[in-house]
Amino acid sequence: MRAILLLIITFLAMPVIAKPPHGYPFQSFDKAMQQAQSEHKPLFVYFGRQGCGYCDLTNKQAFSDKQVREAYSKHYVLAYVDSESGKRLLLPSGERVTERELGTRYNAFVTPVFTFMTTDGQSLLRLVGVQRIIDLREADTKVQQLLSKPAIP
Amino acid sequence: MKQTSIWLSLLLLLAPACVQSQPWKFTKPIAISSNHGEKIFHHLESSGRHNIAISADTVAVAWEDNRDGTPRIYLARKGRNSKVFLDSIKISGAGEAYEPSLVALSNNQFVLSWEEDARIHLRLVTPSKLGPVITLAASEAAQPSLTYFDSQLLLVYARRDNRYSRIWMQDIEVDGQELHLKKACVVDSDPPQNEQSYPSIIKLPDRKIVAWEDRRLGHTIIMAAQSDKKKSCRFHSPQRISDALPNRTAKYGTGHGVARVALAQFGAGKVLAAWADKRDFREGYDIYAAHYQPNGKQLFTPNIKVQDSFGDVAQQWHTTVAGDQSGRLVVGWDDKRDGDANIMLSWLEGNNWSEDLAVPGADGPGEQNHPTISIDQEGNLHLAWVERTTINGPSQLRYLFGRLNKE
Repeated sequence: MRAILLLIITFLAMPVIAKPPHGYPFQSFDKAMQQAQSEHKPLFVYFGRQGCGYCDLTNKQAFSDKQVREAYSKHYVLAYVDSESGKRLLLPSGERVTERELGTRYNAFVTPVFTFMTTDGQSLLRLVGVQRIIDLREADTKVQQLLSKPAIP
Repeated sequence: MKQTSIWLSLLLLLAPACVQSQPWKFTKPIAISSNHGEKIFHHLESSGRHNIAISADTVAVAWEDNRDGTPRIYLARKGRNSKVFLDSIKISGAGEAYEPSLVALSNNQFVLSWEEDARIHLRLVTPSKLGPVITLAASEAAQPSLTYFDSQLLLVYARRDNRYSRIWMQDIEVDGQELHLKKACVVDSDPPQNEQSYPSIIKLPDRKIVAWEDRRLGHTIIMAAQSDKKKSCRFHSPQRISDALPNRTAKYGTGHGVARVALAQFGAGKVLAAWADKRDFREGYDIYAAHYQPNGKQLFTPNIKVQDSFGDVAQQWHTTVAGDQSGRLVVGWDDKRDGDANIMLSWLEGNNWSEDLAVPGADGPGEQNHPTISIDQEGNLHLAWVERTTINGPSQLRYLFGRLNKE
């Protein structure tokens, strides 16, 4: 009984902050978009929110993987969006919207949603909900294959 | 086949009855502003979604657009019986301006409040002139929301005090054609534990009610507080009004998300708070609401879902709510249950919410979203929204009128 109580207290005391995972160069969407455009790299956009349990779970069980960290830091410019925030962003079109509005545009109806995106804002692939290491690795492979294909004339 | 025909016949027979049960007959939509085109983006956004108002014979709509390259606040007006809005007028100054809140005074007069260069600004607009711009000199602030009732003009906004934003209320005197700042007070007197944002306010004869987003529990909840009956600039301790859901596991984190509360008064002293609520973690935000029914312990009732069950497979965004003195109450939002983003309405019928209505003229191909609604003294509905053909493409502003069906 005491052990269960201790477990509950430990769980309640855990900070569930659902911020981007440690060790990754996540930045705001507009800064990431600028960098992506200048470096001609795709974006990986993490739509989260404060208090999101699945975000925290994905951070712990998938983003903690060394290979995932290396691949995502190398292949993408990383953006984090708090999909309930009123913070303003500048879109590539010149439109200014809030982070929440960006989440609406990209249908971040649950959190987390991960969107692989071109530098003009087109979605390449979406992952919805909690992810495992294998999900992130497979998604990376898929997006890299998509990008390596020659453009249709 | 025969069975299908019978069902179809029944549906066709019932359809006119459904149409007749709508409280309003809608006219064709009209444009609000002629300033649109490539790279021009209109935003009907404000804390509480007060972007349309009616005073005497005038309908007014306030928004932000970047027609000259910088986001600025504009106002367009039309006579209630006119089918055309007059040219829009620029309300804000030289800085970047956002999220205008609009409220109607008497005699075709309006007041706007907006954020410009991270400060709150106010301006009175009469039929013949624009009043001077008043700036709240305090520290960084945003998300203003106005209300006017019983000759009292009130403003709430989120002001950054050190680490966190907290909700402030400003009393404003309307003296003829001038505005004067009077008392100001913080709504929650305890030091903020996290961000407070997006407030909305209602004035009742003997009190004020303020609701806002609050992250004190590590996720966003809706909080509300009411003022002291004797000390008008002092509020009682706030309460959480969005439900705390029991028996939830770690996957929910600290709690589910909610966003953007809007308040409306209806009938004699009745108030509804409505917001987007993500307690259904599979299908995203739904429209939830709570009635103001103080019982000594709780200010608001437990939460009720406003949208009908057909809406459960879609996500609901941009909650707007309006009521009138005779007791009409309507909630609006946008969702994509039919594939396109359409403007939806549900109204109170006795104690129940009506089936959802995709507003004719504010539905169909393309995107119709960011609704803002108001009900005039005759019970007619006024609706404005943003229309786009592509997701990040240029936008236009639309308006339509719903004439009350007289029974």
